[in-house]
Amino acid sequence: MPSEETRDRTRPGPRPSGPSGWFAIPAPLARLFKKFPLLTYPPNELPARSPDIRDVATLYVFISDSDALKGLPSYNPSCLKWQTFLKFARVEFRILPSNNHASPSGALPFLLPPSQPNDVKSQTPIPSNKLERYALAHGASKIPDVPNPRLEAYESLLDHRIRNAWLYSLYISPANSALLSQLYIAPVSRSAHVRTAILYQLRRAAEAEIVRSTRRPAIDPAVLYSEASEAFRALETVLGSGPWFFDSSEPGLFDASIFAYTHLVLDERLAWEDRRLADILKECPGLIEHRDRILHDCWE
Amino acid sequence: MVSNTSPVGGDDVFEGLLKKETASVEQRTVAERAHSQAAQSEKRMQELLFQNSTLPVTLSSIQIHGASHTRRSFLDPLFQPLVEDSRNAGYTLAEMLEQVGSTVEKLHKFAMTQSTNTHPLVYEEIFHPNILLHLSRPSHLDPSSSPTDLDVSLRVRERSRLMLKTGTDLGNTEGSAYGSMLLRNIFGGAEHLSLNASAGTRTRSAYSAEFSTPIRSNPDLRLSIDGLASSTHKPWASHEEALKGGGIKLNWATRNGDRFQLGYSNTWRQLTGLAPGASATVRNDAGDSVKSAITYIFQRDRRDNPMLPQSGYLVKTTTEVAGWGALGGDVGFSKSEMELSGALPIPIPGVKGFSGVSIGGGLRGGLLYPLPLSYGLGGASPSRLNDRFTLGGPTDVRGFSLGGLGPRDGGDALGGDVFAAGSLNMLIPLPRAGVESPFRIQLFANGGRLVAMRNKTKSNDTASGQRMSAESVWNSMISATSKVGTGLPSIAAGVGLVYAHPVARFELNFSLPLVTRRGEEARKGLQVGVGINFL
Repeated sequence: MPSEETRDRTRPGPRPSGPSGWFAIPAPLARLFKKFPLLTYPPNELPARSPDIRDVATLYVFISDSDALKGLPSYNPSCLKWQTFLKFARVEFRILPSNNHASPSGALPFLLPPSQPNDVKSQTPIPSNKLERYALAHGASKIPDVPNPRLEAYESLLDHRIRNAWLYSLYISPANSALLSQLYIAPVSRSAHVRTAILYQLRRAAEAEIVRSTRRPAIDPAVLYSEASEAFRALETVLGSGPWFFDSSEPGLFDASIFAYTHLVLDERLAWEDRRLADILKECPGLIEHRDRILHDCWE
Repeated sequence: MVSNTSPVGGDDVFEGLLKKETASVEQRTVAERAHSQAAQSEKRMQELLFQNSTLPVTLSSIQIHGASHTRRSFLDPLFQPLVEDSRNAGYTLAEMLEQVGSTVEKLHKFAMTQSTNTHPLVYEEIFHPNILLHLSRPSHLDPSSSPTDLDVSLRVRERSRLMLKTGTDLGNTEGSAYGSMLLRNIFGGAEHLSLNASAGTRTRSAYSAEFSTPIRSNPDLRLSIDGLASSTHKPWASHEEALKGGGIKLNWATRNGDRFQLGYSNTWRQLTGLAPGASATVRNDAGDSVKSAITYIFQRDRRDNPMLPQSGYLVKTTTEVAGWGALGGDVGFSKSEMELSGALPIPIPGVKGFSGVSIGGGLRGGLLYPLPLSYGLGGASPSRLNDRFTLGGPTDVRGFSLGGLGPRDGGDALGGDVFAAGSLNMLIPLPRAGVESPFRIQLFANGGRLVAMRNKTKSNDTASGQRMSAESVWNSMISATSKVGTGLPSIAAGVGLVYAHPVARFELNFSLPLVTRRGEEARKGLQVGVGINFL
C-alpha cells in the first residue's frame, strides 16, 4: 500500500481530517504534517516465503509441492475441474499447493490474478464460482457455450451420485485410508495428534455430506457404488460417439467436470486400495477415452 | 518482632521479654508502618540485639495456628532449618531470630500476590498477609522445661480456597473481559488450579487452565502445567490465529530477585479467517502448523516502578528453540530476544530530593534463525508469518501503527526475522500535580528496524515447501542482519502524557515520523497506548 505520506504529498490542499478522523486539522498544522517524514527510504524487502512471481495468475489447489512445480493435475476433483477448464480456455496460470484456510470461500480452488506489488485491489482472489467468467475474459481461446436443456440433470449426476461414491471411496472406505492420509492429512502437519484430529474431522465432514446428499440416515456403500455405476453409464450414453460432450467441437466446462473424477479414479499415481470405482468406470470405455484425450491434450 | 524484610524490629515488649524473661510478645507484621516509628524501633532493636545477641536460647516448641487446610508435609520443610539449628550447642537469640525471620519470609511469599503479566514467577497466596508471631516462655511448672527455652507460635489465616472473578483486563494494546475460577491450596501445599475464559478486542476468545505447585515447599520454585485454546484477530496481517496447546513450565527466582523460567510448549496453530484483501504472502502461509518449543526466560527487574520507571534497570532475555532434534512439530527455528531498559532520576538545582524528572532509555533486539526440522537432512525452511517478529505500535516504537515497521505486502505487515529498536524518553512531572502523582509529561524519540530474511538461492519456484541449505541460511542471515544497520532506522518523535495506573500504563502521545521506509505505516498526530510493558 502506498504510505500515508506519499499520498498526502500528491493530494492538493490540507488534509480533510486528522489521523484518527475525529477532528479537522487546521491548515498550518497540515502544512507542517506534510513535511514529515523528513526522509523516506525505499521499501523493505519481502520475506523468503513471499511469492516472487506475481505477473502470472496463480491457481491455489490441493497438490504436492513437487507436482505443483511440474504443473501436474491436482488430486482434488473440484481443483482439477478448474485447473482443466483454465487449460481448455488457454489462460496463462501457474499452480501453488494450498489448503482451505487460504481460500476466500473456505474451499479450494481460488485464483489470484496477476498483481502489482503494493496494490491491494489487484490481490483480490477469485473464488471458484467466478472462475468461468474469469476464464472467458482472460483466456486465449473461446470456450463454446453449448446450451443443453438437460445440463442441470447431468450436473446433478456428478454432484450427487458420483461425488457421494467418491467421498465414500476416498474418505470412509478403510482400505483407502493410507491414500487419504497421504493426500490430505500428512501435508497438514507432522504431529500425530493433529493428524488424528484432521482425519476425524475429514471423515465426519464426508459422512455428513453423503447423508445430506442421499437424504438417508445410514451410509450403504453398495447403494452408493451402484448409483455411481448408473450415473457413469448414463453419462457414457450422453457422450455418445463424439469426442466431447454435447457434440461440441471444443471441450467445455462439463468435460472438465467429468474428467476431474474419471482421471482421478483411473490415475495410477494414486495408490487406490479399494478399486471399486475404477472397476465401475472400466465398463464405460467412452468415458475412459474421453479422459485419455483430455490428459493427452492438456498434460502430455 | 519479625518483619518479612529483616529479622530485626519490634519494640519495648521485646525489651521486657529480654529483661524480665517472663513477658510474652505479640506483634503484628504490618507492611505499612509509620516510617519514623519503624526506624526508631529498628534502631532500638539493633542495640538490644547487639547486647543480647549471644544470649543462649533453646527452642521448646513451634506451633502454627489457623493452617487447617495446609498439609503438615508442606509446612515441615519450611520449619526444618529452624528445628535443626536449634539443636546446636550455643544457639543464640540472634541466630534464632534470623531463622524465624527467614521462615516467616517464606510464608509471606505464600501470602503475596504478584502481577501476573510482567513476571514469569507468580507467588500463590494461600494465607492472608498478616502473619502473627508469638514468642513465649514455657510454663515454669513444666518440669521438662529449661531456663533457656522459648516457644514459637505463628498464627496464619488461610484465604478462601475458591475464588471466582469476573472483570476487565488491560494488556499490551488490548482490552478484554474475563471470567476466572481459582482453586487455591488444593492439596494443602499451595497448589492451585486456575481456569480462565476471556473475550477481548483482539483475542476473540481464549480459554486456559493452569495447575501450579511449589516444589519442596519452596515459594521460589514452582512447576506449572497449562493448556489453552484461543482465537486472536490480527488485523495488521488480515487473519485470525487459532491456537490450541499446552505446556509445562518451571519457574524459579534467586535471592536477589532474578527470575527464570524454563518451559516446553506444544501448540497447534491455525492461520485462518483471512480478510478479503489478504495479501499473497498471508495466503501462502495460511493453514496449520505445530510448534514444539523449549523456552528459557531470564529477567532481572531492578526498576523502582514497572509502570513508571524513574530509576533502576531491566534486563530480559527470551530464548526459544523449536522443531529441532527430538522436538518434532512443523516449524524449526531458534528465536532470541533481548530487552534492556533503564532510567535515571535527574536532579534539578534548587529542588531538594527527588525532582520527579527522569531520563529513560530502552533497547530491544531479536533474531530468528531457521533450523532444520529434527536432525536436519531436509534443510531449513524460512520463517512463517506467525513466527516472525512484529515491530511498531503504541507500546514499542511509538508513532507507528501496530506492526507498522518492516516489510509489507499490500496492507499486511509481514514481520521480520531480525529487529532492533531503541527509545529515549524524558519524564517530567506536571506543574501542579507534583512528584508523587502518577502523571508525567513525556518527551520521546524512538526508532527501529525490522528486516526479513531473503532466500538468495531461491530459484523460480516458490513452492512453500522450499528448503534452504545451512550455508544459504547463514548467508541470508548475515545479509539481513547487516541490513538492520544500513541507513537510519525508522524514527518517530513526539510528546505526550503518561498515566501510571497500578494495573497498566496509559499514554496519549502526539508524534511525527522523522524517517520511514516506503510502505511502513507511520502515524501522524495522536496515538493512545495502553500496556504494561513499554519500550
